[in-house]
Amino acid sequence: MDEEQTGGYSEICGQCGEVDWGVSDEGRFYCRSCHNVIERTKEVVDTNTFMIGTSRVSSISKGTKRKKLEQGREWMVCEGFQFILKHQAEALLAMGVCPQFKDDVLCQFWRMYLQKSRQAYTKNPVHDGKFRLRSQGSGESESAPELSVMSDSMMSASETDGDGDWASGGGSVSGHTSDGVSSVCSGSVDAVSYLTPRQRRSQGLMSMPKTLALCHLALLWAREAITLADLLRFVNEGHIPYVNAYEGFPEEMRLYGRDSLIFRVESIPSYSHLHKEAQTLAVFLELPLFPPITLDCLLHPTLLTVRYLTEANLPDELHDWVCRIMEKAGMESSVTFEPMRSRSPLPHYDVQAAALIIIAMKLLFKLDDHTEWDLSNDASDKNKENPDGNSFNLRRWYRTMQTALTTAARRQQDNIARKHWKAQKPLYTSKKDKLVVLKRRRIAEQLQLSFQKLSGSPVAPPSSPPSSFCFCWGEEGEGVRDGPSMHHHTLDSSVRLRGASLQPSNPEYWHPALRACKPRFCKSHYAEVEVTLPRMYVWLLGLFSFLLGVKPGCVYEEVLKVERRFLRSSKSQPRARATPRKTQPKKQPKRKQTRKTCSR
Amino acid sequence: MDDLESELRVPGELGENESSDDESINRKRIKKPNLPLAPPIFKEKPCETGFHKTTRNCLQHIREALLHHRWQKAAEYMSSYSQTLEDTTANMPQLYAEIIWRIGTEILHHHPDSKLEDYNSFYERVKHSGVKHYLKVCLEHSFHLLVNGQFEDAKRQLSIAESWRYGKQSADQSQRIKLIQAYSGFLDYIIWCEKKATVSSTDEYDAGVNQEMHSYFRQSSVNLKEIMKLPGVWDPFVLSYIDMLEFYNDHEGAVKVLNDYAYDNNLPPNPNAHVYLYRYMKKHDHPSKKLLKVLKILHTLVPSLELMLEYCSLLLQSDKEGDLQKALGVVLDLLDYASWRSNLDVWNHLMTIIKRLRLRKQWLKLVEEEMANRKDWWLAMHFTTFQARRDLAVNRELLEVKRFVVGAFCPRYASMYCGVGKETRKGVTSEAQKTKRSKKAEKDKESKTAKKAQKRTRKAKSRLTLRKLLERRRAHRQEQKCFKDA
Repeated sequence: MDEEQTGGYSEICGQCGEVDWGVSDEGRFYCRSCHNVIERTKEVVDTNTFMIGTSRVSSISKGTKRKKLEQGREWMVCEGFQFILKHQAEALLAMGVCPQFKDDVLCQFWRMYLQKSRQAYTKNPVHDGKFRLRSQGSGESESAPELSVMSDSMMSASETDGDGDWASGGGSVSGHTSDGVSSVCSGSVDAVSYLTPRQRRSQGLMSMPKTLALCHLALLWAREAITLADLLRFVNEGHIPYVNAYEGFPEEMRLYGRDSLIFRVESIPSYSHLHKEAQTLAVFLELPLFPPITLDCLLHPTLLTVRYLTEANLPDELHDWVCRIMEKAGMESSVTFEPMRSRSPLPHYDVQAAALIIIAMKLLFKLDDHTEWDLSNDASDKNKENPDGNSFNLRRWYRTMQTALTTAARRQQDNIARKHWKAQKPLYTSKKDKLVVLKRRRIAEQLQLSFQKLSGSPVAPPSSPPSSFCFCWGEEGEGVRDGPSMHHHTLDSSVRLRGASLQPSNPEYWHPALRACKPRFCKSHYAEVEVTLPRMYVWLLGLFSFLLGVKPGCVYEEVLKVERRFLRSSKSQPRARATPRKTQPKKQPKRKQTRKTCSR
Repeated sequence: MDDLESELRVPGELGENESSDDESINRKRIKKPNLPLAPPIFKEKPCETGFHKTTRNCLQHIREALLHHRWQKAAEYMSSYSQTLEDTTANMPQLYAEIIWRIGTEILHHHPDSKLEDYNSFYERVKHSGVKHYLKVCLEHSFHLLVNGQFEDAKRQLSIAESWRYGKQSADQSQRIKLIQAYSGFLDYIIWCEKKATVSSTDEYDAGVNQEMHSYFRQSSVNLKEIMKLPGVWDPFVLSYIDMLEFYNDHEGAVKVLNDYAYDNNLPPNPNAHVYLYRYMKKHDHPSKKLLKVLKILHTLVPSLELMLEYCSLLLQSDKEGDLQKALGVVLDLLDYASWRSNLDVWNHLMTIIKRLRLRKQWLKLVEEEMANRKDWWLAMHFTTFQARRDLAVNRELLEVKRFVVGAFCPRYASMYCGVGKETRKGVTSEAQKTKRSKKAEKDKESKTAKKAQKRTRKAKSRLTLRKLLERRRAHRQEQKCFKDA
């Protein structure tokens, strides 16, 4: 049709912004939507699109040639994921992850995955039957050697180059199967097999969230200081390629049709989803015991709590209390992950650290909407008496934190509203859609430009360099945006010396009923108990859930988990009990959820 | 009322003897107050993709910015909202295109830096974002150009729209095409007007220009005639067509067009049609009989129209027997509307009518016929003490005229109205008093009796009509009697 005559000339019409060119009888180009004739004739096009040859002969042969070029070479879906993983690993390396991470950890994991899912390094590849079925027209003889070529090349790659030449891994897959079959519905060879219900159910196949899960496992293995919450935040901020990651594919790997269903990303997975995904993946890979998280690793709760204390602008002295709690809960030893033992789930390092801090806060300030304010009054009195002293005032901290939190939440909302999801090169599911999709893309782009011009500001929110911290505390000065630092404040108003050791001046500790839960059937109880909890406690949960990007319920559950261990151990060990005191239990029998008060 | 009460009632207040069914109903009501809240627009859906969350949030931000008139901000968000067009899972892509179109034009209208080129490019983009809105957007674009005085461009837009075809022509689409044709006729008329202005300014006869004008006239008249056949309100089209016909001295044709427009039963009733017809006839000195006929219909359609004053004076001019009574009816109808209530002209008309009527023998009977429906409230509405005070403040002459009228209609009632007049008159200069006295002298016996009545009722300073007051007293007495009997 005209498309052949215009030779794919796809400039936008200056008159109406359409791309719908036709060639008139005189060989001139005109826009079919606004009948605008442009300064371009048929002959010129030929020389433009194909640099070789200006004669008409070349234009005759161009049809098939062009098609070949458009198709690109053949590739497997796992190659695509390999590229994405490679880009993600490179982004992580650029952030300062140790160089062994990419080649020695992630690459190995990826190979294990390929082997376990029988996509490579195996005598019994998963797609074998599939291939035979699909390439019936072209003959079976072609597909079998090709596969062996592929697996061979992968083998050799893994054997010879330890430095992991990623891009070449898939490059040796031969590109000479017949066009006809594969070009119908997808750019990749085996996209169809990814979308069959059986394969989906088996969950062995790669997906976009799984790339992140794999990265997370590899980071854990390498004992890097990037927690899952951090990883997700970097993805959200665009420091790690995830949305439209396929744009980094080399030119000859064409994506269309079914591929778009696999590679198109319209949302970033949630924390809990990714956590679950990572756990299943670890089990699927049958990974051995992970390297232990010791005190020299930033993932260790001792160090992680320091980080979150800094983030939440809490005094450094609180860390001693956190460490004491950790010690009592016996959490220093059991911080590693062994996938093959069913009783050792993948720990939430970051949420656990937050839970420890919350428990420390509860221990010192009780957080029952009364005691903490009384203690704040004491602290402010003390500060008045002694102008040089700076005891930690919870009220002041709450106010500072609340303003910072509100601004940050608003900023986050704004970023969400302005986030750009669509790629420069849109994906289309079928040839039929191609024109529509491209047209929409063009119009959206032009509209965006025109409004941008009107508003005079860039569309994308200004991206900040990757950082572990959301907030920035300090004295008034440059670079401080959130408020004065309280890290150096002392806890002297809420702690008192009893005997040889320091004890919190607040004698009581409360916790929600530690009832037994069926982990299979019970979901989070947070929604039902939320109304019965003290507001300050809920606010604190909200603060940490915002910092980590998880649901408040998740933090709540983790606090309960840690509390369980902590209380159990403090009951069994008599020395943990400091001055035993009779407390006035605030029992409200009518409430479904009894709040227990323990004396310590 | 019932619902509200039950909603406001606290559950503890429920009577113990109430059945459990009632209680459950009440509880239900308390749980779900049936308030007429609008359904939430930006509700989060259970499994929402990040992309949809972004667009939902973005739209919410745009809405807030629009409501606070922060156009700059709205434009910023709008530029990222345009990605909704690329939504692959949208079930209603047309809806998003429409949202962008509507909000985008709104922003452009208010944004301080928006230029005509921005409009042009925006409309071009939107036109191509969805097939369904193509014609509407074209029409709106040409309206915008029209308002900005770019007639040629507006005309070009419409001709592009006219030549546009997509798929099967739906009924909706064909109607819109007709509207587009009508507007292109209207634009032809505007261009014609421009040409006319240049011709009249140069004062030279130019055959070429004339020829051109005539061709515009022909093009325009074809389109305009076409649209007038359809039911609808086509005022600007009719006026422009009449203007052209008038220029070419086709008076009969013009009258025919106007007649058709006014009297065709297919068209919706349109008072303007009759107004145009009347004005045209008056301009071209049609006999008053015809004018009266048009005005009579207009009176039935819109009794409060300004033209009714003209109607009244026309009726007063005629010599026919019944016309005076008709005029009375017209004036009384006018006075029923708040906007005319303190209009001096109307009251003057009423005064002259009464003066003329009085010359006849059975004039009271005639008045009673007209007043039959208004008997209960007419006097109370126009002649309260409050009204009198206000009339005095606004226009003293009006007060005098009204006093005359009330004196003529109901001398008894005059007291209340005039009493206030008197009270307030204390501060009036002696000169004014003199004139009033001379006018008073003119008044006949009835006004004197009115004064007596005024003395009697002065004690009862309420705004109730006398009759009502009496009735109430009577009823009260009867009640007391009944009590005594018992």
